[in-house]
Amino acid sequence: MLSELINPYYLQVATFILLNIILGVSIYITLGTGQLSLGHAGFMSIGAYTSAILTLNYNVPLVIGIIIAAVFTGFIGVLIGFPALRLQGVYLAIATLGFGEVIRVLFINWEGLTNGAIGIRGIPHLGREILSFSESLGFSPGMIGLKNNQFVSLAVFLVLLIISIGVIWFFIRQSNSRIGRAFASIKMDEEASEAMGINITYYKILAFGQGALLAGFAGALYAHLTAYISPSDFGYHRAVEILIFAIFGGSEVIWGPIFGAIFLSTMPEFLRVISEYRFMIYGALLVLMMAFRPQGLIDTNVVNWIKRPRLKKKEGKHGTGNKKDK
Amino acid sequence: MLIEQLINGLTLGSIYVVVALGYTLVFGVLNIVNMGHGEIFMFGAFMGVIVTNSLGLPLYVAFLVAIIVTGILGYFLERFALRPLRGKEGVSHLAPLISTIGVSIFLENAAHHFFGAGNQPFRTSFSELNITIGSTTVYYVQILIFVIAILLMFGLTFWLSKTKAGKALRASAENLAVASLLGVNTKRVITQTVIIASAMGGIAGILVGIAFNSVNPQMGLSFGLKGLAIIILGGLGNVRGAMAGGLILGLSETFLVAYGNSGYRDAIAFIAIIVILIVRPQGLFGTSTSKSKG
Amino acid sequence: MNKRIKLLFSVLMVFSLVVLTACGNNTKDAGDKEIGADGAVKAKIGVISYLTGPGAGYGEAITNGLKLANKELKEAGEVDLELKIEDSAGKQEEALSAAQKLMNSDNVDAIIGPTLSTEMFVVGPEAELNGVPIMGTSNTAEGVPQLGEYVFRNSIPETLAIPASVQKAIEKYDVKKVAILYGNDDVFTKAGYDVMKKVAEDLNLEVVTTETFQLGQSDYKAQLTKIKNLNPDLILASALYNEGAVILDQARKMGLDVPFVGGNGFNSPEVIKIAGEASNGLIVATPWFAHKDDEKVKSFVKNYKEAYGVEPDQFAAQAYDGLYLMAEAVKNAGVADRDEIRDALAAIKDFKGVLGTMSFDEDGDIVMEPTVLIIEGNEYIVFE
Repeated sequence: MLSELINPYYLQVATFILLNIILGVSIYITLGTGQLSLGHAGFMSIGAYTSAILTLNYNVPLVIGIIIAAVFTGFIGVLIGFPALRLQGVYLAIATLGFGEVIRVLFINWEGLTNGAIGIRGIPHLGREILSFSESLGFSPGMIGLKNNQFVSLAVFLVLLIISIGVIWFFIRQSNSRIGRAFASIKMDEEASEAMGINITYYKILAFGQGALLAGFAGALYAHLTAYISPSDFGYHRAVEILIFAIFGGSEVIWGPIFGAIFLSTMPEFLRVISEYRFMIYGALLVLMMAFRPQGLIDTNVVNWIKRPRLKKKEGKHGTGNKKDK
Repeated sequence: MLIEQLINGLTLGSIYVVVALGYTLVFGVLNIVNMGHGEIFMFGAFMGVIVTNSLGLPLYVAFLVAIIVTGILGYFLERFALRPLRGKEGVSHLAPLISTIGVSIFLENAAHHFFGAGNQPFRTSFSELNITIGSTTVYYVQILIFVIAILLMFGLTFWLSKTKAGKALRASAENLAVASLLGVNTKRVITQTVIIASAMGGIAGILVGIAFNSVNPQMGLSFGLKGLAIIILGGLGNVRGAMAGGLILGLSETFLVAYGNSGYRDAIAFIAIIVILIVRPQGLFGTSTSKSKG
Repeated sequence: MNKRIKLLFSVLMVFSLVVLTACGNNTKDAGDKEIGADGAVKAKIGVISYLTGPGAGYGEAITNGLKLANKELKEAGEVDLELKIEDSAGKQEEALSAAQKLMNSDNVDAIIGPTLSTEMFVVGPEAELNGVPIMGTSNTAEGVPQLGEYVFRNSIPETLAIPASVQKAIEKYDVKKVAILYGNDDVFTKAGYDVMKKVAEDLNLEVVTTETFQLGQSDYKAQLTKIKNLNPDLILASALYNEGAVILDQARKMGLDVPFVGGNGFNSPEVIKIAGEASNGLIVATPWFAHKDDEKVKSFVKNYKEAYGVEPDQFAAQAYDGLYLMAEAVKNAGVADRDEIRDALAAIKDFKGVLGTMSFDEDGDIVMEPTVLIIEGNEYIVFE
């Protein structure tokens, strides 16, 4: 019975949506301090290549490879974050754009390590690794009435679902904490925040590093989901695509980029007509969003409006809700 | 070989200069980096292809059509992507950057649909004319491109410093509100600026077409990003900086290929941006540091 | 303000509902894979093709070739194939999604495609896992058939095409020194370069310089000036026709008149369209030559032109033969069974198609003789 319900195609689509959600959140974190990065595709590629090379050439277990990749990308993000601090707005955007391109050119030319434009193939696949691991424990998908490919897709989807929920949960917690309030304050007015004693350097670099770490993490997952990566997967268009998740969905609350990622990655799957004009629509969306709703579709008002019925029930708690976390 | 490569570098550099001047002009007045400029430039090149190749009309018509079409595109860009954002409460300074990225993506993919993804030949009898000095062949096109770049730079400098419209423009660049109080029609000045900058993009597009006989929808992105690098290199909003930056980039790309590793050619521009931004954010020729807080 | 948001939100809700129902309608039909009343073997063939985006031209040619072949096969009546065509937009993720859909929702018996080797690297292992035979008709990168037991291709790899054309060029011209020029940021051209480098080594040619360029570049003069000053006898250029044609044009303009040898991607009538006179002297090896003196080829070209108004290119021809090979396998297997079809495909020997005589080796790679062509007088002719 289970085997009829589980369709690997839908799971596959859902898995890539989850990956896009993580990417959307990664740009949201950086945007959350008013820093616009066009280098997230670059961070993603660093994560992807690190994990691919570690697992393939040095036989590092997949999980450890992904973790090292994420941490390493975060570290690079912090390194970039220091000089980036001196730059604001447009300058930062262009510098990060330059960074992404330099990384891409580097990966193309550093053939000994990255195999150049040919890319790296045969990267351990997350799902197939889970399959062989569970088979080594004496469990086979047939035991619960699943075909191998169904089991693989299901396992991958569940793993990504758990990861995404974990990531979202973490950043919701963070946005309600001291760090989150510092981020929001810096985004509002940097100079005023500094006057209020917020350590701008620390928080901006933290945000940049977190964004990079998450993008690298998503990149590593991407490498193990497709089992093949090449530098052209991480070009300028990828950076813009990631940015659009947050711009369309909204960059005020975490639900914005999540909604943006879900909506924008589902659309082309169902309406193939849209797929053809996808980037034209993306372009028009960016212009329209900036003109009519620069904060994105989902902002604080929308979130409050959705939450309202629930809040009415436990009235009275309303004003004090924020103090709990202190 | 040195002289030939020097000519190659100057040709490429001159085209970069014309592209970069368009960015500089818009940034100088609006403090906005117009990410859509590269794609407007690409449309200019395609207009040239359509006029000379498909319709078989002479080259000067191509220039005219390209200037008109890119001017109109520039107007639309200002009208739909920039004007709605101006003076609006709570719009972040990143908004124009993002909306012009939107324009660039839209135009690039529109070009895919209208013109196809491949290269279009750009054949004019003019691009065949050349003189040979010793072993070096120089095409008239190459000289023309260099001359146009120089003319545009001096024309722009003159226009900005001596004419009334230019003064109004500089006043608006200094402070929009005050210029408006002093009777400058800032709305018109801004629209004018974007249109002129776009038309210069159109000219650059045709120049690339005749020089390299290669026009495709992706060229907007690659030349656009280079143009961006140049204005950072030369100092944002600085006309002479753009000139110097463009020539430097063109020459260094050519000489990297000639004497080094051609694989890193595309990285030069971006490594230069990163280094400049970290070491000297106002650019090689910029003076004011206050503006770097864009 | 709040009202407006509400409105926006409800519009969105309705929209997503529509989408959800649209997806709900996507019920799977369990295909009846029986032998039809007229004795034709029925089978469902999935197609993954690059139909939207910058490379849509390839996908269009491929699907045209497939449709024409299918029409003829239906008329012949030995097999009854149903084509399920999905778009991949040239992206790995979407190719994978399309493959999942074909294998699991549509329950196809075999797959033709995807268009790009990069897509095949992602889709191939998945098809292997599912036990679905898959045949690339346009993948030329090294290592594609080695992806698994179920992975085949009928497009000749660069490792076959380039040595053939270089060998012929050396026989004709007195070649000692060569220069290599290649696109280093594209899988296809980079793979072609690796082969060229090896061929030059094997044939003891002196490589005077190796230069690179990037996709979509406009200015190749710096590289070409450098090459010109080193006076090579032959230039090996691994480029796609788009960049390649512009390279030829700029090279001829600066007086670089030596012959060029290109890879498979350089082989297109578009080269002549873009570069004109400058394209003369380009040597390529190709599995497909439209003016071959052969009945099969002539009738294919005629029918294709009638149906689509243009002459078939190699992508159309390879796809056309691809479906014929698949049909042969289905016919020999006798049933629409994935494993049976795989075994029947692997067993195909000396099958005559429009490309020539084809067999598969033990990896599932194509075995055939390419034709070497040269552009002379603004058209492709056989190079002898």
